[in-house]
Amino acid sequence: MCITRVGRVEVVAGGKARVAFFDGRTLDGVDVSVVNARRGAYVEVFGNLALTILGQAEAKRRKEAWETIKKVTAQDPLVR
Amino acid sequence: MSSSQKDRGVLLHAKHAFMPNTLGYCGPDERDIIVRHLEGSMGGEDLESMLKRFEAAYPFLRLIGRTTGRDPFDFAVPEAYWIGNGLLEKVDVPDFRDFSRMDLPGRDEREVDRVFKALGSKARPHHTFYVMSTYATASVRDGPSLRNDSGDRVVKAMDSCRVSWGEVTRIGKDKLQVEYSPLTMEEGRLSLGKPKSKSVSYNSRVNPFGNVKLGDPVSIHWDYACDVLTPRQVRNITKYTLLDIQSVNRLLSKRDR
Repeated sequence: MCITRVGRVEVVAGGKARVAFFDGRTLDGVDVSVVNARRGAYVEVFGNLALTILGQAEAKRRKEAWETIKKVTAQDPLVR
Repeated sequence: MSSSQKDRGVLLHAKHAFMPNTLGYCGPDERDIIVRHLEGSMGGEDLESMLKRFEAAYPFLRLIGRTTGRDPFDFAVPEAYWIGNGLLEKVDVPDFRDFSRMDLPGRDEREVDRVFKALGSKARPHHTFYVMSTYATASVRDGPSLRNDSGDRVVKAMDSCRVSWGEVTRIGKDKLQVEYSPLTMEEGRLSLGKPKSKSVSYNSRVNPFGNVKLGDPVSIHWDYACDVLTPRQVRNITKYTLLDIQSVNRLLSKRDR
Protein backbone atom coordinates (compact mmCIF):
# COMPACT_ATOMS: atom_id res chain seq x y z
CA MET A 1 0.00 0.00 0.00
CA CYS A 2 1.19 3.39 -0.81
CA ILE A 3 -0.08 6.83 -0.28
CA THR A 4 0.52 10.09 -2.08
CA ARG A 5 2.63 12.21 0.21
CA VAL A 6 3.92 15.72 -0.24
CA GLY A 7 7.27 16.75 1.20
CA ARG A 8 10.37 18.80 0.70
CA VAL A 9 13.59 17.53 -0.77
CA GLU A 10 16.36 17.79 1.83
CA VAL A 11 19.32 16.18 0.11
CA VAL A 12 19.85 14.87 -3.44
CA ALA A 13 22.63 12.61 -4.66
CA GLY A 14 22.65 10.62 -7.88
CA GLY A 15 18.94 11.08 -8.52
CA LYS A 16 17.97 9.79 -5.06
CA ALA A 17 16.80 12.09 -2.30
CA ARG A 18 15.85 12.32 1.31
CA VAL A 19 12.39 13.83 1.52
CA ALA A 20 10.84 15.30 4.68
CA PHE A 21 7.08 14.79 4.51
CA PHE A 22 4.40 16.97 5.99
CA ASP A 23 3.40 14.16 8.33
CA GLY A 24 6.75 14.50 10.09
CA ARG A 25 8.35 11.41 8.61
CA THR A 26 11.35 11.29 6.32
CA LEU A 27 12.21 8.79 3.59
CA ASP A 28 15.62 8.12 2.07
CA GLY A 29 16.16 6.81 -1.44
CA VAL A 30 13.26 8.59 -3.13
CA ASP A 31 13.83 8.59 -6.90
CA VAL A 32 13.60 12.25 -7.90
CA SER A 33 15.37 11.83 -11.22
CA VAL A 34 12.16 11.48 -13.18
CA VAL A 35 11.10 15.03 -12.29
CA ASN A 36 14.64 16.33 -11.78
CA ALA A 37 13.83 17.77 -8.37
CA ARG A 38 16.49 19.75 -6.54
CA ARG A 39 17.13 20.49 -2.89
CA GLY A 40 14.31 22.57 -1.40
CA ALA A 41 11.71 21.53 -3.99
CA TYR A 42 8.26 20.34 -2.92
CA VAL A 43 7.48 16.99 -4.45
CA GLU A 44 4.53 14.63 -4.62
CA VAL A 45 5.77 11.11 -3.86
CA PHE A 46 3.98 7.80 -4.36
CA GLY A 47 5.87 4.78 -3.11
CA ASN A 48 9.50 5.63 -3.71
CA LEU A 49 9.03 7.79 -6.79
CA ALA A 50 8.60 11.55 -6.98
CA LEU A 51 5.94 12.12 -9.63
CA THR A 52 5.43 15.86 -9.62
CA ILE A 53 7.10 19.03 -8.44
CA LEU A 54 4.64 21.31 -6.66
CA GLY A 55 4.77 25.07 -6.31
CA GLN A 56 4.86 26.51 -2.80
CA ALA A 57 1.21 27.58 -2.84
CA GLU A 58 0.00 24.16 -4.01
CA ALA A 59 2.23 22.43 -1.45
CA LYS A 60 0.73 24.61 1.30
CA ARG A 61 -2.79 23.81 0.12
CA ARG A 62 -2.05 20.07 0.12
CA LYS A 63 -0.51 20.31 3.59
CA GLU A 64 -3.64 21.97 4.93
CA ALA A 65 -5.84 19.34 3.28
CA TRP A 66 -3.70 16.59 4.83
CA GLU A 67 -4.00 18.14 8.29
CA THR A 68 -7.77 18.45 7.96
CA ILE A 69 -8.15 14.80 7.02
CA LYS A 70 -5.87 13.69 9.85
CA LYS A 71 -7.89 15.76 12.32
CA VAL A 72 -11.21 14.34 11.15
CA THR A 73 -9.80 10.80 11.13
CA ALA A 74 -8.46 11.16 14.67
CA GLN A 75 -12.00 11.92 15.86
CA ASP A 76 -13.49 8.92 14.10
CA PRO A 77 -14.39 6.16 16.57
CA LEU A 78 -13.77 3.50 13.89
CA VAL A 79 -10.12 4.52 13.71
CA ARG A 80 -9.31 5.13 17.36
CA MET B 1 -19.02 -12.40 11.83
CA SER B 2 -16.96 -15.05 13.61
CA SER B 3 -13.65 -14.10 15.21
CA SER B 4 -11.81 -16.53 12.95
CA GLN B 5 -13.29 -14.87 9.86
CA LYS B 6 -12.13 -11.53 11.18
CA ASP B 7 -8.68 -12.88 12.07
CA ARG B 8 -8.35 -14.27 8.55
CA GLY B 9 -9.22 -10.83 7.17
CA VAL B 10 -6.81 -9.04 9.47
CA LEU B 11 -4.02 -11.45 8.54
CA LEU B 12 -4.68 -11.21 4.79
CA HIS B 13 -4.59 -7.45 5.12
CA ALA B 14 -1.40 -7.50 7.21
CA LYS B 15 0.37 -9.82 4.76
CA HIS B 16 -0.21 -7.41 1.89
CA ALA B 17 0.48 -4.23 3.91
CA PHE B 18 3.70 -5.58 5.40
CA MET B 19 6.30 -4.69 2.75
CA PRO B 20 5.23 -1.10 1.96
CA ASN B 21 5.15 -0.51 5.69
CA THR B 22 8.63 -1.98 6.08
CA LEU B 23 9.86 0.27 3.29
CA GLY B 24 8.36 3.33 4.99
CA TYR B 25 5.73 4.08 2.34
CA CYS B 26 2.62 3.79 4.49
CA GLY B 27 1.44 3.21 8.03
CA PRO B 28 3.09 3.61 11.43
CA ASP B 29 6.65 2.54 12.05
CA GLU B 30 5.65 -0.61 13.95
CA ARG B 31 6.47 -3.46 11.59
CA ASP B 32 7.44 -5.76 14.48
CA ILE B 33 3.76 -5.97 15.44
CA ILE B 34 2.89 -7.24 11.97
CA VAL B 35 5.76 -9.75 11.96
CA ARG B 36 4.84 -11.12 15.38
CA HIS B 37 1.20 -11.64 14.45
CA LEU B 38 1.91 -13.07 11.00
CA GLU B 39 4.46 -15.53 12.34
CA GLY B 40 2.00 -16.55 15.07
CA SER B 41 -0.95 -16.68 12.60
CA MET B 42 -3.05 -14.70 15.04
CA GLY B 43 -5.05 -11.50 14.91
CA GLY B 44 -5.30 -9.22 17.90
CA GLU B 45 -6.25 -5.76 19.06
CA ASP B 46 -2.74 -4.32 18.79
CA LEU B 47 -2.45 -5.48 15.18
CA GLU B 48 -5.91 -4.15 14.28
CA SER B 49 -5.15 -0.84 15.95
CA MET B 50 -1.88 -0.56 14.03
CA LEU B 51 -3.50 -1.46 10.70
CA LYS B 52 -6.21 1.15 11.25
CA ARG B 53 -3.50 3.80 11.15
CA PHE B 54 -2.56 3.10 7.53
CA GLU B 55 -3.55 6.36 5.88
CA ALA B 56 -4.89 4.88 2.64
CA ALA B 57 -5.39 1.15 3.05
CA TYR B 58 -7.71 1.26 6.03
CA PRO B 59 -9.97 3.99 4.59
CA PHE B 60 -10.43 1.75 1.54
CA LEU B 61 -11.49 -1.15 3.80
CA ARG B 62 -13.92 1.12 5.59
CA LEU B 63 -15.41 2.25 2.28
CA ILE B 64 -15.89 -1.30 0.99
CA GLY B 65 -17.14 -2.49 4.37
CA ARG B 66 -19.57 0.41 4.86
CA THR B 67 -21.13 0.15 1.43
CA THR B 68 -21.49 -3.65 1.55
CA GLY B 69 -22.65 -3.92 5.16
CA ARG B 70 -19.55 -5.69 6.44
CA ASP B 71 -16.89 -5.13 9.05
CA PRO B 72 -13.76 -3.58 7.45
CA PHE B 73 -11.75 -6.64 8.49
CA ASP B 74 -14.29 -9.22 7.33
CA PHE B 75 -12.16 -11.52 5.15
CA ALA B 76 -14.04 -10.61 1.95
CA VAL B 77 -13.28 -6.90 2.41
CA PRO B 78 -9.45 -6.88 2.43
CA GLU B 79 -9.60 -9.66 -0.13
CA ALA B 80 -11.66 -7.38 -2.41
CA TYR B 81 -9.23 -4.53 -1.94
CA TRP B 82 -5.92 -6.36 -2.41
CA ILE B 83 -6.88 -9.23 -4.72
CA GLY B 84 -10.38 -8.49 -6.01
CA ASN B 85 -13.80 -10.11 -5.64
CA GLY B 86 -17.46 -9.37 -6.29
CA LEU B 87 -17.69 -6.79 -3.48
CA LEU B 88 -15.93 -4.32 -5.78
CA GLU B 89 -19.02 -4.32 -8.00
CA LYS B 90 -21.23 -3.35 -5.07
CA VAL B 91 -19.52 -0.10 -4.12
CA ASP B 92 -21.53 2.82 -5.50
CA VAL B 93 -19.62 5.16 -7.79
CA PRO B 94 -20.73 8.36 -5.98
CA ASP B 95 -19.56 6.85 -2.67
CA PHE B 96 -16.21 5.95 -4.16
CA ARG B 97 -15.84 9.38 -5.79
CA ASP B 98 -16.66 11.24 -2.57
CA PHE B 99 -14.34 8.97 -0.62
CA SER B 100 -11.51 9.60 -3.10
CA ARG B 101 -11.98 13.36 -2.80
CA MET B 102 -12.46 13.58 0.94
CA ASP B 103 -10.86 10.61 2.67
CA LEU B 104 -7.60 9.99 0.88
CA PRO B 105 -4.82 12.22 2.13
CA GLY B 106 -2.68 13.70 -0.59
CA ARG B 107 -4.98 13.17 -3.55
CA ASP B 108 -5.54 16.19 -5.73
CA GLU B 109 -9.32 16.68 -6.01
CA ARG B 110 -9.01 17.82 -9.62
CA GLU B 111 -7.27 14.57 -10.54
CA VAL B 112 -9.99 12.61 -8.76
CA ASP B 113 -12.70 14.47 -10.65
CA ARG B 114 -10.95 13.77 -13.96
CA VAL B 115 -10.74 10.06 -13.15
CA PHE B 116 -14.43 9.71 -12.31
CA LYS B 117 -15.57 11.88 -15.19
CA ALA B 118 -13.61 9.69 -17.59
CA LEU B 119 -14.41 6.30 -16.08
CA GLY B 120 -17.62 6.35 -14.07
CA SER B 121 -18.30 2.83 -12.81
CA LYS B 122 -15.08 1.54 -14.36
CA ALA B 123 -13.23 3.14 -11.43
CA ARG B 124 -13.06 0.50 -8.71
CA PRO B 125 -11.82 0.57 -5.11
CA HIS B 126 -9.19 -2.04 -5.96
CA HIS B 127 -5.62 -1.49 -4.86
CA THR B 128 -4.22 -1.98 -8.36
CA PHE B 129 -6.62 0.60 -9.80
CA TYR B 130 -5.69 3.07 -7.06
CA VAL B 131 -1.98 2.60 -7.75
CA MET B 132 -2.12 2.74 -11.52
CA SER B 133 -4.56 5.64 -11.71
CA THR B 134 -2.48 7.64 -9.25
CA TYR B 135 0.75 7.13 -11.19
CA ALA B 136 -0.94 7.62 -14.54
CA THR B 137 -2.78 10.83 -13.71
CA ALA B 138 0.14 12.42 -11.87
CA SER B 139 2.60 11.42 -14.53
CA VAL B 140 0.70 12.89 -17.41
CA ARG B 141 -0.18 16.15 -15.68
CA ASP B 142 3.08 18.02 -15.46
CA GLY B 143 5.49 15.33 -14.45
CA PRO B 144 6.99 12.61 -16.58
CA SER B 145 5.10 11.27 -19.54
CA LEU B 146 4.56 7.55 -19.63
CA ARG B 147 5.71 7.70 -23.24
CA ASN B 148 9.18 9.13 -22.70
CA ASP B 149 12.35 7.63 -21.20
CA SER B 150 11.28 8.23 -17.64
CA GLY B 151 8.07 6.35 -18.41
CA ASP B 152 9.95 3.08 -17.97
CA ARG B 153 10.72 3.96 -14.38
CA VAL B 154 7.12 4.98 -13.73
CA VAL B 155 5.81 1.70 -15.18
CA LYS B 156 8.38 -0.26 -13.12
CA ALA B 157 7.24 1.58 -9.98
CA MET B 158 3.60 0.79 -10.81
CA ASP B 159 4.53 -2.85 -11.29
CA SER B 160 6.15 -3.07 -7.86
CA CYS B 161 3.39 -1.15 -6.15
CA ARG B 162 0.43 -3.07 -7.59
CA VAL B 163 -0.29 -6.52 -6.15
CA SER B 164 0.84 -8.95 -8.84
CA TRP B 165 0.90 -12.72 -8.82
CA GLY B 166 3.20 -15.44 -10.04
CA GLU B 167 3.93 -19.14 -9.94
CA VAL B 168 6.70 -20.48 -7.69
CA THR B 169 9.51 -22.07 -9.73
CA ARG B 170 12.24 -22.34 -7.09
CA ILE B 171 12.21 -22.30 -3.31
CA GLY B 172 15.12 -20.94 -1.26
CA LYS B 173 15.54 -20.18 2.42
CA ASP B 174 14.19 -16.64 2.23
CA LYS B 175 13.74 -16.14 -1.53
CA LEU B 176 11.34 -17.60 -4.04
CA GLN B 177 11.84 -17.59 -7.77
CA VAL B 178 8.54 -16.83 -9.45
CA GLU B 179 7.31 -16.55 -12.99
CA TYR B 180 4.97 -13.61 -13.39
CA SER B 181 3.64 -11.26 -16.04
CA PRO B 182 5.10 -7.77 -15.61
CA LEU B 183 3.24 -4.59 -16.36
CA THR B 184 4.47 -3.13 -19.63
CA MET B 185 3.79 -0.07 -21.74
CA GLU B 186 3.64 -0.28 -25.50
CA GLU B 187 2.47 2.51 -27.75
CA GLY B 188 1.05 4.38 -24.81
CA ARG B 189 -1.01 1.49 -23.51
CA LEU B 190 -0.46 -0.59 -20.41
CA SER B 191 -0.69 -4.36 -20.61
CA LEU B 192 0.64 -7.50 -18.97
CA GLY B 193 3.76 -8.64 -20.76
CA LYS B 194 5.20 -12.07 -21.46
CA PRO B 195 5.92 -14.09 -18.31
CA LYS B 196 9.36 -13.57 -16.85
CA SER B 197 11.24 -14.88 -13.88
CA LYS B 198 12.13 -12.83 -10.83
CA SER B 199 13.26 -13.34 -7.27
CA VAL B 200 11.03 -12.25 -4.40
CA SER B 201 11.51 -12.43 -0.66
CA TYR B 202 9.23 -14.43 1.63
CA ASN B 203 8.97 -15.49 5.24
CA SER B 204 8.72 -19.26 5.72
CA ARG B 205 7.43 -18.72 9.27
CA VAL B 206 4.30 -17.04 7.91
CA ASN B 207 1.52 -19.52 7.17
CA PRO B 208 1.18 -21.11 4.60
CA PHE B 209 4.72 -20.46 3.36
CA GLY B 210 6.16 -23.22 5.57
CA ASN B 211 4.56 -25.64 3.12
CA VAL B 212 4.95 -23.66 -0.09
CA LYS B 213 5.36 -25.88 -3.14
CA LEU B 214 6.62 -25.51 -6.68
CA GLY B 215 3.76 -24.35 -8.88
CA ASP B 216 1.91 -22.56 -6.08
CA PRO B 217 0.45 -19.21 -7.15
CA VAL B 218 1.49 -16.37 -4.82
CA SER B 219 0.52 -12.72 -4.51
CA ILE B 220 3.46 -10.29 -4.68
CA HIS B 221 3.78 -6.74 -3.36
CA TRP B 222 7.02 -4.78 -3.58
CA ASP B 223 8.92 -7.98 -4.44
CA TYR B 224 7.60 -9.78 -1.38
CA ALA B 225 5.47 -12.92 -1.59
CA CYS B 226 2.45 -12.09 0.57
CA ASP B 227 0.19 -15.13 0.37
CA VAL B 228 -0.51 -18.36 -1.47
CA LEU B 229 -3.60 -17.84 -3.62
CA THR B 230 -6.51 -20.18 -4.17
CA PRO B 231 -7.67 -20.89 -7.75
CA ARG B 232 -10.65 -18.56 -7.15
CA GLN B 233 -8.31 -15.79 -6.03
CA VAL B 234 -6.10 -16.28 -9.09
CA ARG B 235 -9.15 -15.91 -11.33
CA ASN B 236 -10.19 -12.78 -9.45
CA ILE B 237 -6.82 -11.04 -9.37
CA THR B 238 -6.45 -11.74 -13.09
CA LYS B 239 -9.93 -10.45 -13.88
CA TYR B 240 -9.72 -7.26 -11.83
CA THR B 241 -6.15 -6.45 -12.83
CA LEU B 242 -7.10 -6.66 -16.50
CA LEU B 243 -10.18 -4.50 -15.89
CA ASP B 244 -8.01 -1.96 -14.03
CA ILE B 245 -5.54 -1.86 -16.91
CA GLN B 246 -8.39 -1.25 -19.37
CA SER B 247 -9.68 1.58 -17.20
CA VAL B 248 -6.30 3.24 -16.84
CA ASN B 249 -5.69 2.93 -20.58
CA ARG B 250 -8.96 4.76 -21.08
CA LEU B 251 -7.71 7.50 -18.78
CA LEU B 252 -4.44 7.73 -20.67
CA SER B 253 -6.16 7.87 -24.05
CA LYS B 254 -8.46 10.66 -22.88
CA ARG B 255 -5.44 12.63 -21.72
CA ASP B 256 -3.80 12.24 -25.09
CA ARG B 257 -6.65 13.80 -27.06
